Amino acid sequence: MDQNFVTVLYNSPHQIPLGKLLAQYFYLTGLSAGSFVVSVIAILGGKTEYKPLGKIGAVVAPLCLVLAPMNLLTEMAQPLRAWHLMTYVPGYINLKSPITYGVALLTAYPISAIIYAFFVYTGNMKMSKIFAIIGIPLAISVHGYTGFILALGKGRALWNTALMPTLFIVSAMVSGIALMMLIAIILNVFFSKDKSQEAITADRELIYGLGKFLGGVIVFDLFLILNAVLVLLTSSKEAWHVAELLLWGRFAVDFIGIELILGSLVPLFIVFYPKTARNLKALSFASILVMVGIYAMRYSVVIGGQSVPLH
Amino acid sequence: MSKTQSPHASTTDKAPRVRFAMVLDLSRCVGCHSCSVACKSENEVPLGKFRSWVKVIEKGRYPDVSRQFLPALCNNCDNPICNRNCPVRATYRRPDGIVQVNQHRCIGCMYCMASCPYDVRYINPLRKIIQKCFFCDHRVDHGLAPACVETCLGRARIFGDINDPDSEIAQTLATNPVTTLKPGLGTEPHVFYIAADYDAMDPTSGVDVNHIHFEHPF
Repeated sequence: MDQNFVTVLYNSPHQIPLGKLLAQYFYLTGLSAGSFVVSVIAILGGKTEYKPLGKIGAVVAPLCLVLAPMNLLTEMAQPLRAWHLMTYVPGYINLKSPITYGVALLTAYPISAIIYAFFVYTGNMKMSKIFAIIGIPLAISVHGYTGFILALGKGRALWNTALMPTLFIVSAMVSGIALMMLIAIILNVFFSKDKSQEAITADRELIYGLGKFLGGVIVFDLFLILNAVLVLLTSSKEAWHVAELLLWGRFAVDFIGIELILGSLVPLFIVFYPKTARNLKALSFASILVMVGIYAMRYSVVIGGQSVPLH
Repeated sequence: MSKTQSPHASTTDKAPRVRFAMVLDLSRCVGCHSCSVACKSENEVPLGKFRSWVKVIEKGRYPDVSRQFLPALCNNCDNPICNRNCPVRATYRRPDGIVQVNQHRCIGCMYCMASCPYDVRYINPLRKIIQKCFFCDHRVDHGLAPACVETCLGRARIFGDINDPDSEIAQTLATNPVTTLKPGLGTEPHVFYIAADYDAMDPTSGVDVNHIHFEHPF
């Protein structure tokens, strides 16, 4: 019916249970998973010029993942009862809940990532390859499960899609590659005094290659976002309202402005335009933009998804 | 057709068991909010939180206008998504169909709140656990009706066992056109509405989603 026909006189308040801290948690696990995957690609790739990347990722991945669950603990209403999640007794734990398998993954993944980092830094290639192979499924599922957390939130039109886990894994890759690129640039510019000129040039070539890789993953991410938005626009009424919020409503600045234009299109231009693709300043600017854009994506998905009233 | 065949009772097992449900006959609701008050005092619901409330809308243009009510409470679904998603099984479904929360088990992760399609759960800001309507199970266990049913002056609320063919609720369900909130989600709610208004049941009707007020849960 026409909107002007209806006036809501009284209703109970609209609640947003999962807040910014949860968005931040998703962001940090995404960074961790993405940089771990890049590190493993570099280590398993075999070429010696990729090795510096493998070392950066091996440190960044466990670091981000140690920080991530702190957000969850502070977001919970009863942080001291967190041990209830680890009583693996049938009848006390719900094996159907994504949080349950998330707890197992959040325990196993950092341990394997730390062991992996140890072997990468001690130069034991055989063991680091073994732990790379163990870590890859863990890294992908530690971020994929966060997509399932949202996808199984049945009431929310933005979350309850089969696309959500894939979208989360791909955006994790985007932010992880951007973080690795930024750290690689910082190391190359400020911490390479004792390196030879050839090594510095080789590192730069690596950074330019990483930029191209980042561009490719951003294109895939944009394609998934296009799918999500097109389906939202043609799905249920709630879905249409979420699309309204994201495209021209309350979250348009976050979604269109920061995530799509600043966080995807501008970096895409920078990494593919020949003049800027081989410029470290431009590339570091692009990687910062990408990371801010992915944070805006987490924010608009978590908060925006809960912003349509349900009652 | 046997007397027990209400729209939802027909899917139960051969041996009928108790399944509590509520019917809200909105042709009898006057919008006095006494159900909200009774619920608050019975269950010590904190300020600003509601287990049971009455949504009020006005629709139409003068002189063709009306005011419509929609009492809302937990639907105590047959297939509750909150149960499926609770990681520690703090929320569970009793054999009689009431969806209950174990207050000593709940970790307050608020995942059930986020996934409930009806937004009936809240965090108690004093005790920091999830609470919601559970058909006043402490009263039901002693053979009394829930507080909102007891207090409803228009007798708009009917509570009982839908599997008992002699109960008022089973007969009401069998002889009236009833609906539920968001039936398409497959949650199988067990709060049925008679003569509910389309716009009152639509959460986004008359709401500007861009200017809705947010509230932090605790």
